[in-house]
Amino acid sequence: MSRGGDLSVPATTFSAESATLGPMAGDLAIAALDMARRFAAGATMWCAAPRWPSHAQHLAVEFVHPVIVGKRALPAVAVGGVDLVSTLRVVSSPGDLFVAVAAADDPVMRAAMRRAPAWGVRSVWIGQGDRPDVGAADHVLWLDEELALSAYGGGFVLVYHLLWELTHVCFEHPGLLTAEAADRDAACSHEVCVSCSDEGRLAEVVTTGPGYEARVRTADGIEGIDTTLIGTPRPGDLVLVHAGTAVTLIED
Amino acid sequence: MAPETTDFLYPFIEADERDATALIVDLAASAEAKASQSKRLRASTLKRFSTQLDEIAAEMAQRFLDGGRLFTFGNGGSATDAASFAALFTSPPSGRALPARSLVADEATLTALGNDVGFELVFSRQLIAHSRPGDIAMGLSTSGNSDNVIRAFGEGRRRGLLTVGLAGYEGGEMAACGDLDHCLVVNSDSVHRIQETQDAVGLALWERVQQCVDGERTR
Repeated sequence: MSRGGDLSVPATTFSAESATLGPMAGDLAIAALDMARRFAAGATMWCAAPRWPSHAQHLAVEFVHPVIVGKRALPAVAVGGVDLVSTLRVVSSPGDLFVAVAAADDPVMRAAMRRAPAWGVRSVWIGQGDRPDVGAADHVLWLDEELALSAYGGGFVLVYHLLWELTHVCFEHPGLLTAEAADRDAACSHEVCVSCSDEGRLAEVVTTGPGYEARVRTADGIEGIDTTLIGTPRPGDLVLVHAGTAVTLIED
Repeated sequence: MAPETTDFLYPFIEADERDATALIVDLAASAEAKASQSKRLRASTLKRFSTQLDEIAAEMAQRFLDGGRLFTFGNGGSATDAASFAALFTSPPSGRALPARSLVADEATLTALGNDVGFELVFSRQLIAHSRPGDIAMGLSTSGNSDNVIRAFGEGRRRGLLTVGLAGYEGGEMAACGDLDHCLVVNSDSVHRIQETQDAVGLALWERVQQCVDGERTR
């Protein structure tokens, strides 16, 4: 399921034939189109796999240095280090992509995924075993196999190989990669929604004060908000912002 | 967006294409076809290699029990698969941890050797520094032609290491390499499907080594 929710696909279209991948075939297709749209708009793809760093590197090199001659080299970077959240916060820009290979209960990954919308970053979470909570990432690509076998037996590698292959197929459809095309799909799936600017928006606190004021980062950039309703948050806290006011402090 | 070099092959694709649903359905079908192709290749390859994997695992297990270590190496995606394979031995999901190391893990050593003596020697030079008779060298190359991997097999052979190579396509130079004790060729012309299958072969090999080591300990 997609947190982005830009495209809905009839599940019956391919589930009958999808003996190997099951519903993940559709999830992969939707993720690949979303990724291709972001790449077309200039995104960098940040790759992380704290438990299995080599998967982050394999994922990045796949996109940077394609195995098929003539395919476009795309900006992809493996990120690691002692504090993944701090690193992603500073290196990522609105419009970027974050692709992770990690277990659903990885606390660092949960923290990074929760913040991605406030950074304006689209997230893809690859894993297997127990699934992350609904809405934990924009795209969840999940294998059924036992965890260790996917990490070492080629399961995760298959998933990101397919992501790469499908993303490049999307580049052969430039008419579907434009901002207008993305907006069109988003409009279709949000017919009943009111304007997003009237909804709560996720924000990450940058600095606080003076008084009940704070500077926060949202997908749209840095802005000032009022925090009277929630008290004084700490830098790094996630809050829901409505009409210039923090209405909820989101607990980790 | 710059035009794809393959655009001329698809004259029927209009720049003003509007309906993404047809593309999504095609992509999902393509993903499923590739995944089932990968699954079939893994199954047939593991079946074909069954006896050979038993032999390699027995030889590797004996070397581990005698104090040997495993060194893995490769380039690009094969470098990361080599690192995953080493991690599987040192930090196994179950069973006994065994000493293994990827020769691509240290960027200081890799760049120093690449810069000073040449990239074709980055693995063989490390074997000169680290290895001793009784160790194991395992190299991965989808083409089978990676010069630095082939040269490492030569150095490993000279130093009394067990040498194991994983290749793809028809095996390339690796298939004709006289310095290899064992050469496992995944017959496919897709780099992606080769790598996925090599990972499955690596996992199957690790499982067999665990069985051998466990059998030895409880004997």
